[in-house]
Amino acid sequence: MDLSVKDIYRPLTFDEAVAAFSDEPSMLPIAGGTDISVQMRAGKFAGAHLLDLSGVLPRSISADGGFIEIGAGATMDEIADSGPLRSVCPALCQAARKVGAWPIQCRATLGGNLANASPAADTAPPLLVADALVVAAGQGGLRNIEAEDFFAGPGENTLKPGELIHSIRLPVTDPPSFSRFTKLGWQREQIISVVSLSISLHLNDQGLVTKAAAALGAVAATPKRAPSVEAVLVGHSLDPAAISRAVEAVQNDITPIDDIRAPAWYRRVAAATLVERMLEEASGA
Amino acid sequence: MTKIQPPLGGSHRRPDAMAKATGQTRYVGDLALPGMLHAAIAVSDRASARVLNFDVASARRMPGVEAVVTADEIPGDNQVGVIFPDQPLLVTDRVRMVGDRLALVAARTPEEAWDAARAISPAYEDQPGVFDPEKALDETSPTLHGTDNLLHTFQVLRGQTDPDHLDADVIVEAHYEIGGQDHAYLEPQACLAVPEGDRITISASCQCPFYIQQAVARVLAIPLASVRVEQAPTGGAFGGKEDYPSEPAACAAMLAWRTRRPVRLLYSREFDLQVTTKRHAMVVQHRWGADKNGRLVFAEVEAVLDCGAYAGLSTVVAERANVSAIGPYAVPNIMVRTRIAYTNNLFGGAYRGFGAPQVSFAAEATMDTLAHRLGMDPLEFRRINLVTPSDPLTCTDQPLAAPQMAQACLDRAVKDSEEHQIAPRAPDSWRRGRGISLALYGINLHRGGQFLDRSSAVVILQPDASVIVRVGLTEMGQGNLAAVQTVTAAALGIQPDKVQVWQPDTTTVADSGPTVASRGSHSSGRAVLDAIERLRRRLDPIAAELLGCRPEDVELADSCARVSGGGPSVPLIDVTREMAARRIETISTGWYRSKPRVFDEATGMGEPYASYAMACHVVDVAVDPDLGLVRVEHVAAAHDVGRVLHRTAAEGQVEGGVVQAMGWALTEELKLDQGRLLNPSFTDYLIPTSDDAPPVTVALLEDAPGRGPFGSKGLGEPAFIPTAAAIRNAVCAALDVEINRLPLTPPVIVRALAGNHRFKHLME
Repeated sequence: MDLSVKDIYRPLTFDEAVAAFSDEPSMLPIAGGTDISVQMRAGKFAGAHLLDLSGVLPRSISADGGFIEIGAGATMDEIADSGPLRSVCPALCQAARKVGAWPIQCRATLGGNLANASPAADTAPPLLVADALVVAAGQGGLRNIEAEDFFAGPGENTLKPGELIHSIRLPVTDPPSFSRFTKLGWQREQIISVVSLSISLHLNDQGLVTKAAAALGAVAATPKRAPSVEAVLVGHSLDPAAISRAVEAVQNDITPIDDIRAPAWYRRVAAATLVERMLEEASGA
Repeated sequence: MTKIQPPLGGSHRRPDAMAKATGQTRYVGDLALPGMLHAAIAVSDRASARVLNFDVASARRMPGVEAVVTADEIPGDNQVGVIFPDQPLLVTDRVRMVGDRLALVAARTPEEAWDAARAISPAYEDQPGVFDPEKALDETSPTLHGTDNLLHTFQVLRGQTDPDHLDADVIVEAHYEIGGQDHAYLEPQACLAVPEGDRITISASCQCPFYIQQAVARVLAIPLASVRVEQAPTGGAFGGKEDYPSEPAACAAMLAWRTRRPVRLLYSREFDLQVTTKRHAMVVQHRWGADKNGRLVFAEVEAVLDCGAYAGLSTVVAERANVSAIGPYAVPNIMVRTRIAYTNNLFGGAYRGFGAPQVSFAAEATMDTLAHRLGMDPLEFRRINLVTPSDPLTCTDQPLAAPQMAQACLDRAVKDSEEHQIAPRAPDSWRRGRGISLALYGINLHRGGQFLDRSSAVVILQPDASVIVRVGLTEMGQGNLAAVQTVTAAALGIQPDKVQVWQPDTTTVADSGPTVASRGSHSSGRAVLDAIERLRRRLDPIAAELLGCRPEDVELADSCARVSGGGPSVPLIDVTREMAARRIETISTGWYRSKPRVFDEATGMGEPYASYAMACHVVDVAVDPDLGLVRVEHVAAAHDVGRVLHRTAAEGQVEGGVVQAMGWALTEELKLDQGRLLNPSFTDYLIPTSDDAPPVTVALLEDAPGRGPFGSKGLGEPAFIPTAAAIRNAVCAALDVEINRLPLTPPVIVRALAGNHRFKHLME
């Protein structure tokens, strides 16, 4: 079935896109279109005015002071293959490589994955863990939103009407010793996460965790950090007791529901298992 | 008639491969004609309701809409039921399932057509529905048709059948809940209808152009001869295009008839998943007993098929399920009862295996459970109970021609499984298990469908010794073109690339029934051999003249006619040129029909099938004991095929059957809520990806010839039947649990571990 839209506005520059969107915030921004087109087939957004960002979004991945700036239009494939990102935030590269199939990864953008605000968005946990900033562009210029403040609910974000995601900034002055992403579904590839997890750890010479960050997807209304897990890890070595405390703690950080992909109880079991396995991997690393 | 000769059993390039691989094949979705309109269907979004009124006037005024058709405008019968007249093309006063058709729309673009179809929304009065097949059989349940929901009951009664007298040293009782399955063909339902005066041509993605011909003639009230149905290239079918395509074809034909313009109807994936037929969900209750030496004493089976809202092919599916419930085991006392229950769920239809996979799953699971209770190895327990030359009767008392092939398939699959050298793909921490399952498959149509079992072929020998062949059975991806090409080339002793096989068209071949029941190469191949035999009555005398021998001494091989026994030869092209020069008829028709069989429906005794094929799959799995994920590591599949026609096509059938059955066993779940499918997309209806597909070691055993061309046997369905039970048995062996349901999704597996799971406290 073809898609039913009213019209498509294709700006020539990003500034023009921002100006047009500020004037007409009811437009539906589209970049890679890999999620919107699926939703459209299901009958959503019938008669939409599309704002086509595909040619104008920033998409470079560049170092900028203590940050790596990723243009909102960078594709999953570009992120997965980015040398700088691989060295400072491998979890994000791993997540990008797990979004759909490779053809999807070549179209889907980081900005789209975030703006879409799925609780299961694969790039969200690594960005939450990395304390990323979402840079929003609006009439008044650019503003930074903490990744943790970006997600508001399933399909809901905290962009103001007329704002577009310009880029994502990752602080990189102090790269972690361990950075991982994993996702669980009934198949190995091309699957929407039933539970996803990212953890980053800073370990000192004695093997003690000096800084810990963890975030999960598909276990709450939004992708979210796991502060209880982080709290029980900091100051400890990754011994079985610490891992076991983290496995218990993660239950306080999640509020899963039953849906067509899995029952809530299974997500609790899966979150415990994934946290345990990832920390065991970190302890051996 | 003809010796075994090339290209039989070889792997020459399939005739349809290059065009498909390079995108040159034109599926219905690639066809467009000037002035063509696009069809859409307005359907019910509820499963049980009265239709109080519905207004199509506003839909008629929507942009681009050229026609909206309702039931009162159908010139012929408003009826598409394939066996029972219980299913209207367009409903009038009552809907019985989500997807019941209300009205048809033709518009200038597909978007305009579907927008208008979606805008048609009647006023309903919801009625109580019934969604559980066992509950549907209660007298108090709301009924769908008539006074109760029992469509039909089949039985097999053998030996002592009074349950009170069925006793044994070890008895296993088990309750199996077996889910349905979508066909997930690559190409959704599609057809194009082109009216021309008092006749109409339909191009359709289907398994039976003749069913469509009949349905369109009935709905339009025109003679069969006025309906031409061309088989379009078909992107997968698996049973989903046996009976069902008559419905979209009748819709497109109605709109074309009404607008006098070509009308194309393409289903989206989501629409296709929601409204088309499915593999029947079944509930199977077992009570099987064995003596302490491990001999089966009795088997009691109570099966209920969830028919859905309309009968469709459910009775013939149940017929096969009924006589497949015991598998290839010799059991003296048998009581099988198979009932079909109407519900307000999606309706069941034909699907690879046709009822046999569900009951085979139950039988093979019970075999493992019985073995465990007896303290026996499941392999040994099977060996003891298989049919053998000294005990060769099926559960219907039919003697098997080659009962030894059950043991042969078992031995070969076990050997291949033990010897395979494939590195495990799952982590070492996962638990390992091996599962065995066998199938006894009745080849071709059941005796109840035998009236359909005939097949037509046309062979036209060209002056350059190439050959045009038409058969009445279809290519849908399974390899029938390759099979027929191979049979023709082998029978005429020519190269396969000299044979062009064309898809059926109801104006060129006679009604050959549906391409189902693993009968494609069997029935079309036999018809082609008949056509060639008749052709040779004209060819051989000419060849004999050129060779200076008697016509009965002519043989064809190596693109030559020669004197049999190694005498002189002439190129076949010299013979065909001579035939052309003498204006000798070079077109020949062929026919095949199966012989009548005896079967008592009341007792289930007799000959439901003309012959049988055996299969055994041995599956190695790895199971993540924490998360319940299953990785199928290897499948050894041994099949009793009689004779290989085309090797890679045959191996492909087996590999495809294994992967499709793996999806049914592990991840494919039709999540229904009040008859509505909650996961109508491949985002959430999870078919295996290529990364999930296991390596399959295929053994094609050619020791027992069948009744197909050159001794071949049907393979399409036996390829599917054993896999799911073997996976289940492997998973249960790996975890030491008993799980009696499908699919085995990770939550089902984790839940089964319950008390033994590390995080059991999280499962409340």
